[in-house]
Amino acid sequence: MMTTQLVAMAVFLPLAGFLINGLAGRKLKSELLIGAIGSGTIGLSFVIALILFTGMLGTPVADRTTIVTLFPWIEAGALSTSFAYQIDQLSILMMLIVTGVGFLIHIYSIGYMHGDPSFWRFFAYLNLFIFAMLNLILADNFLLMFLGWEGVGLCSYLLIGFWYDRRFEKGSTGDAAKKAFIVNRIGDVGFLIAMFLIFTTFGSLDFVSVFPQAAAFPVGHEVMTWITLALFLGATGKSAQIPLFVWLPDAMAGPTPVSALIHAATMVTAGVYMVARCSILFALAPTTMMIVAVIGAATALMAATVGLVQNDIKKVLAYSTVSQLGYMFLALGVGAFAAGLFHVMTHAFFKALLFLGAGSVIHAMHEEQDIQKMGGLKSALPVTGRTFLIGAIAIAGIPPLSGFFSKDEILWKTFSGGYWPLWIIGFVGAGLTAFYMFRLYALTFEGTKRWEGEKHPHESPLTMTIPLIVLAVLSVVGGLIGIPESLGGGNTIEHFLAPVFGPAELAMRLHATHGGIEYLLMISSVLMAAAGITLAWKWYRTASNQPVRFAERFAGLYRVLLNKWFVDEMYETAVIRPTVRGSEKLLWKGIDVHVIDWTVNRLGTFAQWVSRTVRVVQTGVTQNYAFVFVAGVLLIIGWILSA
Amino acid sequence: MTGVEDLLQTTPLLIVSISGLVVLVIDSIFRNGERLAFWLAATSLLASGLHGLYGIGETGTAFSGMLTTGGYADFCAALFSLAGFLTLLLSRDYIGSRTTDRGEYYVLILFAVAGMILMASAADLVVLFLGLEMMSLCFYVLAGFTRTSFAGNEASLKYFLLGAFATGFLLYGIAFLYGAVGSTNIDLILSSASHLRDQTFFLIGLSLLLIGFLFKVAAVPFHMWVPDVYEGAPTTVTGFMSTGGKAAAFSALLLVFAPRLASQIGPVREVIAVIAAVTMIGGNILALSQENIKRMLAYSSVAHAGYLLTGVVAANGSGSTGILFYLAAYTLMNCGAFGVVALLESREGGRTSFQDYSGLSKSSPVLAGLMALFMFSLTGIPPFAGFFAKYAVFSGAVAAGYTWLAIIGVLASLISVYYYLRLVVLMYFSEGEHPVPAPVPLAYAALLAAAGAVLFLGLFPSTILDLTATFF
Amino acid sequence: MDLFDIVFYCFALIAVGSAVVVVFSRNIMYAAFALLFAFFGIAGLYVLLQADFLAVTQILIYIGGILVLMLFGVMLTNRVVDVDIKTGTLQIVPAAILAAVVGGSLSGVFYSTWSTVSGTPSDVATTTPAIGEMLMTSYILPFEIASIILLVALIGAAMIARRKT
Repeated sequence: MMTTQLVAMAVFLPLAGFLINGLAGRKLKSELLIGAIGSGTIGLSFVIALILFTGMLGTPVADRTTIVTLFPWIEAGALSTSFAYQIDQLSILMMLIVTGVGFLIHIYSIGYMHGDPSFWRFFAYLNLFIFAMLNLILADNFLLMFLGWEGVGLCSYLLIGFWYDRRFEKGSTGDAAKKAFIVNRIGDVGFLIAMFLIFTTFGSLDFVSVFPQAAAFPVGHEVMTWITLALFLGATGKSAQIPLFVWLPDAMAGPTPVSALIHAATMVTAGVYMVARCSILFALAPTTMMIVAVIGAATALMAATVGLVQNDIKKVLAYSTVSQLGYMFLALGVGAFAAGLFHVMTHAFFKALLFLGAGSVIHAMHEEQDIQKMGGLKSALPVTGRTFLIGAIAIAGIPPLSGFFSKDEILWKTFSGGYWPLWIIGFVGAGLTAFYMFRLYALTFEGTKRWEGEKHPHESPLTMTIPLIVLAVLSVVGGLIGIPESLGGGNTIEHFLAPVFGPAELAMRLHATHGGIEYLLMISSVLMAAAGITLAWKWYRTASNQPVRFAERFAGLYRVLLNKWFVDEMYETAVIRPTVRGSEKLLWKGIDVHVIDWTVNRLGTFAQWVSRTVRVVQTGVTQNYAFVFVAGVLLIIGWILSA
Repeated sequence: MTGVEDLLQTTPLLIVSISGLVVLVIDSIFRNGERLAFWLAATSLLASGLHGLYGIGETGTAFSGMLTTGGYADFCAALFSLAGFLTLLLSRDYIGSRTTDRGEYYVLILFAVAGMILMASAADLVVLFLGLEMMSLCFYVLAGFTRTSFAGNEASLKYFLLGAFATGFLLYGIAFLYGAVGSTNIDLILSSASHLRDQTFFLIGLSLLLIGFLFKVAAVPFHMWVPDVYEGAPTTVTGFMSTGGKAAAFSALLLVFAPRLASQIGPVREVIAVIAAVTMIGGNILALSQENIKRMLAYSSVAHAGYLLTGVVAANGSGSTGILFYLAAYTLMNCGAFGVVALLESREGGRTSFQDYSGLSKSSPVLAGLMALFMFSLTGIPPFAGFFAKYAVFSGAVAAGYTWLAIIGVLASLISVYYYLRLVVLMYFSEGEHPVPAPVPLAYAALLAAAGAVLFLGLFPSTILDLTATFF
Repeated sequence: MDLFDIVFYCFALIAVGSAVVVVFSRNIMYAAFALLFAFFGIAGLYVLLQADFLAVTQILIYIGGILVLMLFGVMLTNRVVDVDIKTGTLQIVPAAILAAVVGGSLSGVFYSTWSTVSGTPSDVATTTPAIGEMLMTSYILPFEIASIILLVALIGAAMIARRKT
């Protein structure tokens, strides 16, 4: 069938790009050629995604799920897994986001990475990432999903440490890469345990087999709770939620397009996607859902508070990402799966835009990232400044830009589901978001220049500004597909995704409610955002000593926020140091050297000794061989006859 | 009655044996017919191999119930043909630089493959015996093919003497079975197993038949010839004997023993299990103290016979498909390993000790890399084919209730890590001077193909496992 | 004891007695000639078992072919290299053990199957036409394979005998 070839092409084109650039990239002298291969393959994947999408729109709702099996992969005992992809509403949406935003960021990278000695390596990794990500979101079983899951983790590691010879904060970029890898590994253990549990419970890892079986389980069944908790542990690792969020801010050590693509728009939303994909499992585990919602809300608020005081342009955006991911998990936790996915999409647009804008600024400022040493860049970087402003408005939640609709949908679903304490947290977080975004914008683009030395920032080349403009447009209009019915919209995206989440919503007995209070909440959240914006504008647009005084008055709180709630330090004392000490003293020098090594060495010496002794039998005389032979014959026949 | 359709059903056999005759004629008529002979031989082996892979037919019998066709037979034929094909590619320069009679070499390889095909498709013990003899005779001659080499002559003679000795037992066994059952038809013998299981004649016949096979697969204690012959024979021939020869012997063993082993002839199964255990332990332990690569690979081949026997003991679907997968994987990786040894060997047969490989990664990075890959696969490290091969036979044994055997197998493979990886360590982490071997495109192509296939089968084992699962 | 039994024991005696001479004679020529009588005795036993084709084949191939070859070999070797044509017996102890075990197990088999084998030989008039017909019909494939095996053996022999190049 045609679909099979299309899907295979969409997935394997990026792999081809990776192989070409990875194997021959060093030989290809032309950056243009490398960039064209890298971007072209993703562009084609995007086109295919569009074709599949339009094809899907043309088919009746009941037939929109297609399973494409490329080839059988592992057959071992009861386990039978294929390289098979599931094309449905959820995966096509993710595919469009990943390939679309990925394509724009590839284009952007041609300009951003210009002149880098490892230009080819960058594009090879980026293509490999898209390949892995497509496997993650299109997989029709947990094992292939895990392959993609690990693949994106690997690419993330490679790209964070891309400039392995540069320093980053107190260590090297390599340390940041390792941190990301190891923290993610903790989450992966959760994913693995969940897979084992799923396999022992359902006897299969295929979605089409697991989910219908799961739907027959009663709500609150113990197995479901354990499976979903383990899955969610995996999600907290990949999507940077409490307690495993610490790697994401450090991941900013990588090149900025990487931060935009992997650590903002796509990979970090994999956890959201995974929970949404397993919505039926989660719906049957109310305890887990509660935990998801609480963790999401807590992360949203905590990261937003840290974002208030950071001075590194990418750090602010990183904490903002953590915070927005918290909103998405809040949505999932209250059962608003479609709203969560909607926010994934709008967030991909405006956060990619903001990161790319930040990249453009950093580019212009010759690798300067401290916003205290910027200011007044609006005139030097007109396109960047304007698009950045659009992104900031979008994320702050001002209608009619995209962020408003998705965030408001989440808050409304939280409130109407009866989780009003969580709603308050989200509501406060929205205000904080508006504040730190406009603090960032004002310090960077408004006011007067605060940098020293000879720097003449100028606008970036077209390859970088065009993606900015496209993403800005998307940030403005992206929300239109999710206008709630109360505002006269059709909430298209929720209806589109409804078949995927139907079973879960049925299990949770959710039904949409609308009422006058919805308008009230909407207005209050807009007011909250406006308040945040106004305050930031007043404090930071022109040099003012208000923030300093404020910081002095709440010196304790300020230090806590500036040091990111001391989470890294706590992990250092509570987890890392005991582990390292214990490994070194007890496991290595004690058990490893004196018990394991000793035993292995003795066994080895013994085997060698036996070998040398027995070897004597091999005399080289044929008669002796025949003698041994006949002895063997007699033994065998004797045994068989006597039995 | 016998007719054209019988011939058509046995395409691989027909291709290989006829091209053997044609190559013989070409070699004697044309003075410079070597090139033509080589390509004809290679093409026919490739064709026969591809036929088996892509044209596996319906199961049936041909030649008045003498041969089974389709399915299992076709798959095995493909395996042997590809082993022969790889050997041909690897040997052309190796043999050419050591002797002038290359034509006969190709003929003997072709006839050896034909003999193997007969073994795997035999429906009658007479055919099985004749196939085995055909293969063995070719091997005796091939082992001493470099007539000026003293070691080669010694290998040839030793192999011949002990081989003839073993053939005696095999034939004696067939005679006993004929006496007990009154027929040499394998199916008939197997189906009478249930009511003859306590008859002494029958049991002796079965034991002797088993011993004949155990000699060919090189199981302890019938392995004594292996190190001497493998070391002395031309390296490419050794590669062929250790893969094609072993594969053929196992395919015949499987044919005769696997179907009834589980249910009806109890003590035989226990005997094979113990021999498998002894073979795995003995082969690996003896390989530890070897200083010559060819000798090490010889003992390693004994050890692999033990792993394969574990699959025979399992006598279930998983074990049998596992054996076929194992044979395919083993053929690729062992042919590859011996191919590398052949390329590095000096014309006088030197440069085959462990020390000669130290620092090889500097002088010949490609060969060292390939060798390392084959060693990893022989050790059974994922993602190479060797891992899944071991996994399949061991899991078959566990499913059949022979967990102790699988445990011994795993422990024995642990020992093997030492000597396989010792070579890798020497190649990569020691210093040494080497003459760079002349590039041989054909041999390199064969090695790369084998390495690629080892990786492919390791990543997608189900391509073969699914196919072979339909045979049992 | 009728005539059949007398003839049988005669042939058996010839076969076994000659075999003993083959083993214990120190002169290799004597041993070779004794082997001739051993083969002959076995051929006689075949005749008594009404295996006429087998008996003739035994005489033709073993006596006419293999034994003559061996004698040639012995005589040529003697003439050329002037080696001692006497033979010693090596490894007496292992050989004795093996012989004892083999003999013991054969006797055991004989004893345990003695009662189950019927004493009367089958009454087939002559086997040669039937064998010939089967070789050309149902056993055509083994027949053809055998010819290729002979070809392989020929190639091998030619290889070994060929002058060094």
